[in-house]
Amino acid sequence: MDEQNREYTNGEITVIWQPSKCIHATTCYKELREVFDPLKRPWVNMNGASTERIIEVVRKCPTAALSYRWNDPEKNKLQQEQDEKVRQAMEFSNIPKYMPVTVQVMRDGPLVVQGSFEIYNEKGEKLKHMTITSFCRCGGTMNPPFCDGHHRKIGFTSE
Amino acid sequence: MESMEQGPVEFHLEPHGPIYAKGKLKIIDSKGNVQELEEAYFCRCGRSQNKPFCDGSHQR
Repeated sequence: MDEQNREYTNGEITVIWQPSKCIHATTCYKELREVFDPLKRPWVNMNGASTERIIEVVRKCPTAALSYRWNDPEKNKLQQEQDEKVRQAMEFSNIPKYMPVTVQVMRDGPLVVQGSFEIYNEKGEKLKHMTITSFCRCGGTMNPPFCDGHHRKIGFTSE
Repeated sequence: MESMEQGPVEFHLEPHGPIYAKGKLKIIDSKGNVQELEEAYFCRCGRSQNKPFCDGSHQR
C-alpha cells in the first residue's frame, strides 16, 4: 500500500483514502460535508454520519480513491463476495462501454472530464487513454495537466 | 453506436498554452448550463477572461 494512504474508522467500518487516485471531483464533500471536509484536519470525520450513509457516499467516488472495509472480517468477506457478484452482473448487462465525453466545469476548481478520451502531450505524442480525470485550470498544479487540489491554496476564482 | 466510430475524444496539451479538445463534447458549466461542441480550447493558466475557454491571456 502507498504510504500516503490514510485510514479512518468509526469502529464499525474503516474508510481508506488513496490521494494518488483522487482527482478532486468533489463528489464526497458536496454530498456529505459533515464527514468529508477538505478544509479540516483530519479531513474525514467518521462521527459525522451513520455508517450506512458514509458507505453510500464512498461508493459514489468516481475514481475509487475512497473505499471502505468492514472491521469485522466475516462481514467484510460477505461484502466482497456480494460486490463481486454485482460487478459480474454489470459486465453481462447492456451498459455501454463507450460513453460520450462530458466536461464539467467546477466553480473555482478544475475541469472534470468523463467518458472515453485520449491525452496527447505537447509534442503530439499520445500519453494515454482515460475514462475519468480532472484538468487543472488555475495554473498552480504541481502535476500538470492534472488537478492536484492547488486551486484552493492559491484562492483561484473562476467567476 | 455511431459515436463509437468517431473514436475517443482527443485532448491535446498545447505548448505553454491551453488544452485543445477535439471530438464530441458536452460541456457543463458551474451553473448547470450545457453546451455541445465539436472542439474547444480550455484555459489552463487561470487568467482567461472567457473561462473555461482560452482567450490568449497566457501570452500576455
